Amino acid sequence: MIARGALKLSEKDNVATLLEDAAPGTEVLIRLGKETGTVNAGESIPFGFKIAVTDIAKDAAIIKYGETIGIASRDIKQGEMVHIHNLEGARGRGDLMKGDAK
Amino acid sequence: MNFTGYPRPDGSAGIRNYVLVIPWGFLPARICDFVDGTKTILTPDSGSGRTSRDRETIARTLIGLGRNPNVASVIIHTLSPGAGYPELKPARLAEEIARSGKRVEILDVAKEGSTLRALEKGVQLAREMVLEASRLRRQPFDLSNLAVGVKCGHSDTTSGIAGNPVIGNLFDRIVASGGTAFFGETTEIIGAEHVLAKHGINEDVSRRILEAAAAIETIAKATGEDIRTVNPVPSNIAGGISSLEEKSLGAIHKSGSAPIQDVLKYGERPEGKGLYFVDNWMSMGSIFAGYAASGAQLVIFQLGGGGLVGNDLLHTSTAVVSPLLWTTANPKTLAMAPTSVDFYDGTVIEGKDTIEEAGGKLLQLVLDIASGTMTKVETLRHTDPTQIYLRDPCF
Repeated sequence: MIARGALKLSEKDNVATLLEDAAPGTEVLIRLGKETGTVNAGESIPFGFKIAVTDIAKDAAIIKYGETIGIASRDIKQGEMVHIHNLEGARGRGDLMKGDAK
Repeated sequence: MNFTGYPRPDGSAGIRNYVLVIPWGFLPARICDFVDGTKTILTPDSGSGRTSRDRETIARTLIGLGRNPNVASVIIHTLSPGAGYPELKPARLAEEIARSGKRVEILDVAKEGSTLRALEKGVQLAREMVLEASRLRRQPFDLSNLAVGVKCGHSDTTSGIAGNPVIGNLFDRIVASGGTAFFGETTEIIGAEHVLAKHGINEDVSRRILEAAAAIETIAKATGEDIRTVNPVPSNIAGGISSLEEKSLGAIHKSGSAPIQDVLKYGERPEGKGLYFVDNWMSMGSIFAGYAASGAQLVIFQLGGGGLVGNDLLHTSTAVVSPLLWTTANPKTLAMAPTSVDFYDGTVIEGKDTIEEAGGKLLQLVLDIASGTMTKVETLRHTDPTQIYLRDPCF
């Protein structure tokens, strides 16, 4: 088996983790077990970073390991990199507690 | 699957054979300068000005290190600033360590008449105890006599895909053979606690896993800060991790699939064997000493490292008496730190090994190291100070 492209860890995932650097326009092989598909990288995405395997609407859950890793802070197109610029963590957010009962 | 270790009076097996001098201070520092084969815990946490809860944590850590199977015998001196508190009285520490059947000596500075006279006495005593320890010979022990603790550090996205799952496989193998495995880092189960809680051996353990995560999240929120500016740490984000939830969901893979027997406090010794969750802090400078105090003879540092910017990696063991084994699944980290990484499992990502195959190879290395082979960073004398995991304000 040639380990290239990007890895999905659960069927529910809407992102995959790059196992090699992807240049813009590259066809990235998306692997989940033995199943494969392809997504065109919309931009330069380095090794270890995440690529959206579907369009993800603003405020929708971003799923990896079959679990929620955060919320889309804006609309994300298939093939875009998903990272802190378009994903908001929801847990441990003391900054969101400001203005709460004090 | 055996290793050879030093037999201790309580039936446990040391994979190293040290004389421990505690608590930290002038006397242990100088004794360790003079006498080979000795160790001390380098820490400013003496207990002075600390609450009883925190003093008990310090005592638990010192007692646990003394009882660690890698320790042949222990010297306790009376010159520590915390020695007057009931929890930290030298006689109390000595009594609890001596329950393991080990030789424990108290170096009483008042009795010797001066610090320098006590130093002379301590050096001679340590030399005698090191000689005594050196007469022991390794014997075969099975894997049920081994306890291992893990921290995943500088996590990146290779950690959750390969590095941590391989540790999980190692843990499954150790636990299936009757051994003991510790994992923890409570902040880094936030977002994954519901997954982990399913592994509790009973409802009580599952509930306490959820409570540990809820307690630390409450404290985090009370700071008013966005946790993402604290943890994931900057090197995690540079390595591709986007949120604490993502880090946590990758981190929990290092625990494997065995049932979690209990939730332990920092430095607490388990009542039985198997897999344990320790409610501790992720810091390199804190977590490993806690595992050693819980009884781990070996500690593992599972690195991502994708976000690291230099090759000056020199994290040595802060577990005081237990060697530190480095693993990574990131080829860039291996290339950056070949003189520190003991085991590379990026082969899983490259499709050359399955997680099971890599776990089997790692177990062989663990058995070698348990039998006396040094880890790469064990060859270094440098160690950073230990920060004992204290939870209360100081006064």
